[in-house]
Amino acid sequence: MTDATVSPEKTPKRSSLHTASDRTKKRNASETRFKAMGIGAIALGIFFLIVLLVSIISNGIGAYQQTYLQVPVYLDPAKLDKNGNRDPADIAKVSTFGYTPLIQAGLLSAVQDANIDTPLQTARDMKNLISASAANVVRQDVVSDPNLIGQTVTFKLLASSRVDGYLKGRVTREGVAEDKNINVDQLDLTDKLVDAGIAAKGFNWAFITGSDASESRAEQAGIGTSMLGSLFMMLVVLGLSLPIGVAASIYLEEFAPQNRWTDIIEVNISNLAAVPSIVFGILGLSVFIQFMHLPQSAPLVGGLVLTLMTLPTIIISTRASLKAVPPSIRDAALGIGASKMQSVFHHVLPLAMPGILTGTIIGLAQALGETAPLLLIGMIGYIATNPPGNLIDGFMAPNSAMPAQIYEWAKRADPAYYERAWGGIIILLLFLLSMNIIAIILRRKFERRW
Amino acid sequence: MNDMRLTERKVDSKEIKIEARDVQVFYGDTHAIKDVNVDILDKTVTAFIGPSGCGKSTFLRTLNRMNDTIDICRVEGAINLDGEDIYDKRVDPVQLRAKVGMVFQKPNPFPKSIYDNVAYGPRIHGLAQSKADLDEIVERSLRGAAIWNEVKDRLHAPGTGLSGGQQQRLCIARAVATSPEVLLMDEPCSALDPIATGQVEDLIDELREKFSVVIVTHSMQQAARVSQRTAFFHLGNLVEYGETGQIFTNPTDPRTESYITGRIG
Amino acid sequence: MPALWLAVIVLALAGIGYFIGRARALKSADGDIRLLHSLPSYYGSNVAMLTAVPALLVLIVWTIVQPLVVNMHVAGLIPVSELDEGVNLNLVMSDVRRVAEGLQAAVAQGALSVQAAANIDLGAVDLRAILGSVGVALGSDVTMVTLDAAQQYRGATATGQIAMTVVVLMVALGLMGYTLSKTNKELRARNIVERGVKIALISAAMIAILTTIGIIFSLVFNTIEFFRMYSFSDFFFGTTWAPSFGGGSALGVLPLLWGTLYISLIALAVAVPIGLFAAVYLSEYASRPVRAFAKPLLEILAGIPTIVYGLFALLTVGPLLQRVFGDGGLGWMDAASSVMTAGLVMGIMLIPFVSSLSDDIINSVPQTMRDGSYGLGATRSETIRQVILPAALPGIVGAILLAASRAIGETMIVVLGAGAAARLSLNPFEAMTTVTAKIVSQLTGDADFASPEALVAFSLGMTLFVITLGLNIFALYIVRKYREQYE
Repeated sequence: MTDATVSPEKTPKRSSLHTASDRTKKRNASETRFKAMGIGAIALGIFFLIVLLVSIISNGIGAYQQTYLQVPVYLDPAKLDKNGNRDPADIAKVSTFGYTPLIQAGLLSAVQDANIDTPLQTARDMKNLISASAANVVRQDVVSDPNLIGQTVTFKLLASSRVDGYLKGRVTREGVAEDKNINVDQLDLTDKLVDAGIAAKGFNWAFITGSDASESRAEQAGIGTSMLGSLFMMLVVLGLSLPIGVAASIYLEEFAPQNRWTDIIEVNISNLAAVPSIVFGILGLSVFIQFMHLPQSAPLVGGLVLTLMTLPTIIISTRASLKAVPPSIRDAALGIGASKMQSVFHHVLPLAMPGILTGTIIGLAQALGETAPLLLIGMIGYIATNPPGNLIDGFMAPNSAMPAQIYEWAKRADPAYYERAWGGIIILLLFLLSMNIIAIILRRKFERRW
Repeated sequence: MNDMRLTERKVDSKEIKIEARDVQVFYGDTHAIKDVNVDILDKTVTAFIGPSGCGKSTFLRTLNRMNDTIDICRVEGAINLDGEDIYDKRVDPVQLRAKVGMVFQKPNPFPKSIYDNVAYGPRIHGLAQSKADLDEIVERSLRGAAIWNEVKDRLHAPGTGLSGGQQQRLCIARAVATSPEVLLMDEPCSALDPIATGQVEDLIDELREKFSVVIVTHSMQQAARVSQRTAFFHLGNLVEYGETGQIFTNPTDPRTESYITGRIG
Repeated sequence: MPALWLAVIVLALAGIGYFIGRARALKSADGDIRLLHSLPSYYGSNVAMLTAVPALLVLIVWTIVQPLVVNMHVAGLIPVSELDEGVNLNLVMSDVRRVAEGLQAAVAQGALSVQAAANIDLGAVDLRAILGSVGVALGSDVTMVTLDAAQQYRGATATGQIAMTVVVLMVALGLMGYTLSKTNKELRARNIVERGVKIALISAAMIAILTTIGIIFSLVFNTIEFFRMYSFSDFFFGTTWAPSFGGGSALGVLPLLWGTLYISLIALAVAVPIGLFAAVYLSEYASRPVRAFAKPLLEILAGIPTIVYGLFALLTVGPLLQRVFGDGGLGWMDAASSVMTAGLVMGIMLIPFVSSLSDDIINSVPQTMRDGSYGLGATRSETIRQVILPAALPGIVGAILLAASRAIGETMIVVLGAGAAARLSLNPFEAMTTVTAKIVSQLTGDADFASPEALVAFSLGMTLFVITLGLNIFALYIVRKYREQYE
């Protein structure tokens, strides 16, 4: 080892450890900068999250308040029951057009009774204040109880979306000049109605339980029906993807021989997990609708498509939980004469169950928020005005789903719908949040470390 | 004058490089090192021996503050390098580690070329003025680690492609390249075969001419072969410290004797 | 729903079979369980399995195949000569099916008697009104040809239903009888049941393959159909995208690919630096509590559905950008939706994707690398930049490619945030559109699948699928190789 020479003159002059050299200072400064960039990146990420959440809540919270008008309506027998015999069949023949003038007159009289000073003098001048849905509400009450006819009944009716928007600050006086659905006088009147206690905001249950409404009746639209659509889809997803996913994972993890064939399945699953969701929509459209003629817009089809999309996620997490069960458990079962199948179903599977359920819930949460494939199988553009009547309709009848409904609202021209879209997102996120919390609790509670 | 006394005088004449006083190390609530006092001499190979978990590696890592990277680790007492406390607030561990280099148990070349591995330290510490300067440092370090002849034709091949023994000597070259004053070696041969071990041991003996070398080892034969002084650790205590010949032939503490004769370990 | 009832009957038979099988096995062993080869419940399960599974499979296949066969049969009966000029046979058939369904519904709801439904005289009855009253709306009045075909359709369907019922019940009863006759104490019932279960497990695993095959078939067939109507080179090299359902569309994919690429690049330009720095900080600097706090917070971003990001782009980020870069500000931006809007929001969405993948990758760089570098007196940032990141580079490249494939396949953000105009432009503040957005716009609504304007969506889907699949396979390969290196 003759080449082992280190020239001694190159040893640096002895410097004190207690004083940082210039170079060290420079290096430490660059260290600080680098670290600051890391903190900055995280802060930026969290900042984006906060902006997103604030923007959801501040824009969406309005959907949970809605302006209502207390209108005393004189249910004029001359209009509603011309024959005067209170025959339900005859009364049912009077369409909502028969009720609209009565409601407008009712509002006019309420205005006059409250001694409100307004340039609007006729009932028709006030029609823009009341939701177009009001007549239907009154009519339904009357049809179900014809004895109301002849009385003056005070109804709590939806104000029009312009009035609602004005009270929430969305509609401004400057902005209504071009608006044929409302004018400044009507806005003045609105202010006075609020003072007189005729118009007031209240909690909007109808948004949570109600159905979608036509383009011009934003004040009436609710997310309830599409929530049911989502529910039925999730039932399909849960009912199919959990058993299939678990069965596939058990086969791959416990029984499959290590060969090419198994390799292909595995590569295939990890690739499927990364296929864009819209491609699953195309699959659903051509296989389930074009080829199998299943009904368009049905939650069943949506559920099938989402099942195929969630399966890879569930298989991957299930396999991980099966893998986490130590081989000693299997050996113990096999050692006392259980068959392979018995050792898996009696011992391994129950131990892996918490992990499997956690993975399934997370997969379901993903499926619940997925929108793109639903667009292709026709779960938008359809106005889900009525909740499904029975269980079979729940799966087979056309419906929307929460995210598709939100998309639908976001595409509409009336800004009143934007508030609904954000409001829908709040509900969607609450669902996702609670699903994730359940998953976390499950994991915390049953997690076993070997 | 017999040989024994000559060596003794030679050892005594060396100045003290590192001086540890009442060192305590805690991992969370565990008291891993207790009241260690030791003087490590310059231009000497000092071996730390003892059974697994006795704290010898832990103590080694306190000497260049590698334990700073572990959150829960806490050091009390004083460790002075050339009379300066290395745990002083003003000390930048980065500067300290340039002076007190370290070689690890498993060869850990960076996934870079052989040249870049060795040039890494000089580059970050700014030791080279020019490319030629750096080339010279790299060559000198590789020669210093007795590996130059094996790699001089493939300096730009990846360091991970070398054999285990070559990798470890590359790591020693890498540590030598920053011109340290002390070289710490944490079981540097435990992952190597006997031939590679022999080469590295020869190298350690040569390194003694320029550095103070501290080596943690599992193997008592290795300690006897390469070191001049030996410290025996047991359960976090420094049981006995002295000249290697004396520790192996005539230990004063019964625990040392039990370990050396193979009754504890 | 006769099929549903049939399934219930089969399942009930299987339930009965279970108990008979169990009892027979016990009887053959004179009630002594120890003499049986398997536990009694296995004998029952064996009978139930063989009763239900084959019969239900027949039922499912029949339900899927019968409409196709009937459809083909009836379509063959329609005299092509009697169709009006330009009327598509497929459209006629869908009318036929609706009329047939409507008649069925009318009978079920009592609007027509069975007799009346079978002998409808179009001159005397307003069929369209009747069907409308039971909830089947027709686009036009029913013609004689359609009605004839519909009656044929109903007839064939009814025959098919009866045949199906008979076959399914025969399969169920036959196999039940056969299995019961085999049931005695020597029968290796457990082995048979376990083999059955294993076949079920394998079929479940096959669904993944079937899904891929389904995707490929649905894309390939429709794409071939499309290229029969539209030139291959015009699609791939055309620089104009101007579909018109009246005909004469220009369907060049280049502007869409450009929009996709541009938006993805902006998204990656946002997500990669932020995500990477966040990952580096979390894995190398952050103390345990900071990590436990910041990591889940960032991952919330990954759990938020894309529709939310779409809305965020459309209603928050777009207007905000427009205020700065639009007419009131710098004047570069015409509308709220633009490449920049979609790109930025998509970037935010991808931050946690990049950061958690990179975090994993960085953590798998062995600790000895860090020790080696710190031992030489390197600072943390020097160690990260010069040792850890180069060592982790292949893995990080893989992660970025996966993120790119996500960005390319993302739909909702671009549908809502990027605009609808297809153009080749360099200005990031202009509205552009992407492959995914156009798939949505070409396939939503009641388009029939016969026009090139609708079919083009499938070749767009094919393009998208091929690009993302290529990226994924490549990325997964890199990441796998990378992990093997450090195992």
